[in-house]
Amino acid sequence: MIMRFDRRLLFNFDWVLLLLVILICGIGLLNIYSAGSSIASKTEPIYVKQFFWFLLGFVMMMMCFCVDYRLINQYSYIIYGATVFLLLVLFFYGEVTRGTQRWVVIGGFSFQPSEIAKLSVILALSKYFSVQEIEEDYTLKRLWLPFLIVIIPFLLILKQPDLGTAMILIIIFVSMVIFVGIKWQSVVIVVTSGVLLLPLCWMVLKDYQRERIMTFLDPERDPLGSGYHIIQSIIAVGSGGFLGKGFLKGTQSQLRFLPEHQTDFIFSVFAEEWGFIGGLVLLVLFLALILWCLRIAQHSRDLLGTLIAFGITMLIFWEVLINVGMVLGIVPVVGIPMPFMSYGGSALVVLMMGVGLLMNISVRRFMLSP
Amino acid sequence: MSQSNNRLSRYDSSRFRRKFNVLLWIISVSLSVLVVRMWYLQVIKGDELRQRSENNRIRINEIKPLRGTIIDTKGTILAGNQPCYDVSIVPGNVKNVKAVVKMLEDFYRQEGIDFSRGADAVDRARSFVPIKLAKNISRRELAVVETHSVELPGVSVEVIPVRRYLMGEMTAHVLGYVSEISPDELKSDASRTYKPGDRVGKYGIEKFLDRFLKGISGGEHVEVNVSGRRVRVLGKVDPVPGHNAILTLDADLQKTAWEAMEGKVGSVVAMDPRDGSVRVLLSRPSFDPNLFNQGIPIADWESLCNDPLRPMENKAIAGQYPPGSTYKMIIAAAALQEGLITPDTAFNCTGSYQFGNRTYRCWQKKGHGRVSLHRAIVQSCDVYFYNVGRIVGVDKIAEYARAFGLGEPTGIDLPGEKYGLVPTREWKLKRFREPWQLGETLSISIGQGFNLVTPIQLLNAYCALANGGTLYKPRLVERIETIDRQIIKEFKPEVKAHLPLSKETIELLKYGLWGVCNEGGGTGGALRRKEADVAGKTGTAQVVAMKDDRKSATGWQFRDHALFVAFAPVDNPEIAVAVIVEHGGHGGSAAAPVARKVIDAYFRNKAANGVRQQAAAQPGNAGADQKKATESNEVPEEGD
Repeated sequence: MIMRFDRRLLFNFDWVLLLLVILICGIGLLNIYSAGSSIASKTEPIYVKQFFWFLLGFVMMMMCFCVDYRLINQYSYIIYGATVFLLLVLFFYGEVTRGTQRWVVIGGFSFQPSEIAKLSVILALSKYFSVQEIEEDYTLKRLWLPFLIVIIPFLLILKQPDLGTAMILIIIFVSMVIFVGIKWQSVVIVVTSGVLLLPLCWMVLKDYQRERIMTFLDPERDPLGSGYHIIQSIIAVGSGGFLGKGFLKGTQSQLRFLPEHQTDFIFSVFAEEWGFIGGLVLLVLFLALILWCLRIAQHSRDLLGTLIAFGITMLIFWEVLINVGMVLGIVPVVGIPMPFMSYGGSALVVLMMGVGLLMNISVRRFMLSP
Repeated sequence: MSQSNNRLSRYDSSRFRRKFNVLLWIISVSLSVLVVRMWYLQVIKGDELRQRSENNRIRINEIKPLRGTIIDTKGTILAGNQPCYDVSIVPGNVKNVKAVVKMLEDFYRQEGIDFSRGADAVDRARSFVPIKLAKNISRRELAVVETHSVELPGVSVEVIPVRRYLMGEMTAHVLGYVSEISPDELKSDASRTYKPGDRVGKYGIEKFLDRFLKGISGGEHVEVNVSGRRVRVLGKVDPVPGHNAILTLDADLQKTAWEAMEGKVGSVVAMDPRDGSVRVLLSRPSFDPNLFNQGIPIADWESLCNDPLRPMENKAIAGQYPPGSTYKMIIAAAALQEGLITPDTAFNCTGSYQFGNRTYRCWQKKGHGRVSLHRAIVQSCDVYFYNVGRIVGVDKIAEYARAFGLGEPTGIDLPGEKYGLVPTREWKLKRFREPWQLGETLSISIGQGFNLVTPIQLLNAYCALANGGTLYKPRLVERIETIDRQIIKEFKPEVKAHLPLSKETIELLKYGLWGVCNEGGGTGGALRRKEADVAGKTGTAQVVAMKDDRKSATGWQFRDHALFVAFAPVDNPEIAVAVIVEHGGHGGSAAAPVARKVIDAYFRNKAANGVRQQAAAQPGNAGADQKKATESNEVPEEGD
């Protein structure tokens, strides 16, 4: 009954969501084409690679759309377990790239389990919170299990080390806990102990991570190291002006002045070439997407749908906010990609799977429950 | 089907309504903050930032640190840095790249220098990455660029320090070389201290001490104008030069040994037996480490790799040879210490030894007659050691060989050391699935057969005997210092083990070795100095298995390896040398003269340094009554 193709899947399909995502992905691909035009690649250019990732993401998106999310929910903990297993495999056997282990390579096809972890954690948390039959707010006593769910992948990813992705997990967790409701006494306890534990966290951070935070607080402290990213990014964005320098005409971000511009700093390439107008249009598109997703969460037929949709919406929202904030120099430099825009296959595919789930929830609110 | 009917009645999302409303505001406001920030950067400060991006480009230049120098024990510089000039062009800063390159070529032509390098490399999309036009230009070429610098926009000269090995080939295997870091090395670099393009030690001491030698990169943040010229430096972090490494190596001795090995293939190692300090370590043929500085041409690399004499191999630590007669010391030590023979135990040598239906020959076809331990060592009598080896047995021999540090790396501070091989019954069963044959014990008793040693192992074993029984870890690095001579790390002598031999046994053996060089009929007569202070042992390692008449195999590659180990002065040794000449023939004739040159040079230098001690050292106590060296100068040949 669930697996059988239902005409209503097509009839009630969320075309707005699809349109928004394809629009943003299209802009992203165009932008990567521009950013990558200066990179001499031995294999195919990066926009071609990214396009193939997009196609794969589209297929995965449709798969996540077709299977009823309640059926997927039955496997949430298994998916979660598999993800933790992958992270453990990575922990012991991962290929080390520039001192970090983030990639699992299977048959020449490499992906980052830490990206998958974002979705797995959302699914697992949603499953946990959706079966709790309570109307009042949560206390810490009832939150230790979801905390465990998030802290295991958090630690494994932090160890890779990938501070950005690890942080996103915590942010999603906190967002969801606040959403389902937490007693204010519990908040006080968490915040107080957090303040006390902060020095400990500082000690756990790698040198370069500390350096980045210190540099954010004072970019002139290290104008040659991580401060360089911030300064160059600001120059790139600012030099775009109101109308931008034009497609493929960016000079600051094209090469050398801005390392890693095709991944975490992709927005500066865009803002330089398309100016304030372009940046505004893109951010409005993202705002529309996020609010649309929020609407899906609000109008879901059941709590599970609301929670999954909420989690994915928060993932997109926080990543956009932190990434663009970082490019504009108002958030510290942490390795968080811009959704649908940054070069990177794993992140794109995982986000599109998330969108598939959103479509899934969106379309099934019109359908009878079995 | 109306929408309301389809809603699940039990779930009421209205309890989240307030939260959704708040969230809507949070999201809208935070994205608005981004828009406001964009407005600030792009519209309010847009002109200013655009100006900075177009007219004054800010660039970050890495300033590479100077690599630490490598110095020998007496303060001679072995490896340092020399400036080298590269010409590059930044295409993004020039309107017509080809025209500028053409102009540069013309300037060169006027000076009569052919300069057509790299012109094709420029034909690329405009970029701000400097393109190298020529590497390592001469001073004359440099002058041309500098004179016309105003007419050549975008062209710049970089001064790059280049590693220079002052002794070139002589120290190539010890010092190693540096070249650009490989992608694999970058990947496995967990400390994140290396960047692409960095030069790292790839071999030898350069590799072993890389973390001390490399230093820390600095950098500068410079503004350049449209034509790529520097306008001003905004910020600068000075590089921290690498630390200096002081080795135990002695450059003079190394040079002497190198010259003595001229035209030969093999290795020389010399050590101070008192603490294991390595004074000489070389391997021939060698390679020019300076070739690697700017990237070695592929043809040169291939010819190095394909050379049958393996110039890239450090034969001193990675060459494995049958020890030949030098192994007899181990047999004698085992037999004496286990009480299986006394110094007076004698065997009759008729020139051959019958075992089963095989005949094991002595190198001296006419035989040595009835010999006891001392004369057997002096004359290197094979038949005597067949008898003794048979009594001791393979596993006891192995036990003592291991006590001398054979069969395992000595732990010298160089990458790529080999294990050698000490065969046992168990080993043979595992390796060949066949039981040990007694005949094989006879072979190993004279150092042929399965056993293999590296020159450094052999020398280290003899050093332990020479110094009275202490086995040191060979020590190549004395200390690491900063450029202002503060000591960062000291490498103290390390005792690995003590020989399980009594004082008497050691003295008897040392006396035997003294006899080899100083008594009539001794195989090491080439080492007979007027001070009569050298002790040593010859060895000849078979390359081709037992043949009735080995002389019939005439090709160079079938000739035996010549070995010689010696130390002096015998009663308080300061220097020990091991020489291996591949396919050199007999140890006494091919290897001993090399050892002699090193030992002579050592004492000559010492005397010249005014640290003169009593000229003639006394031979060992045990030999006090027999120290009259025979006058004969002929060098007896030693055979199988």
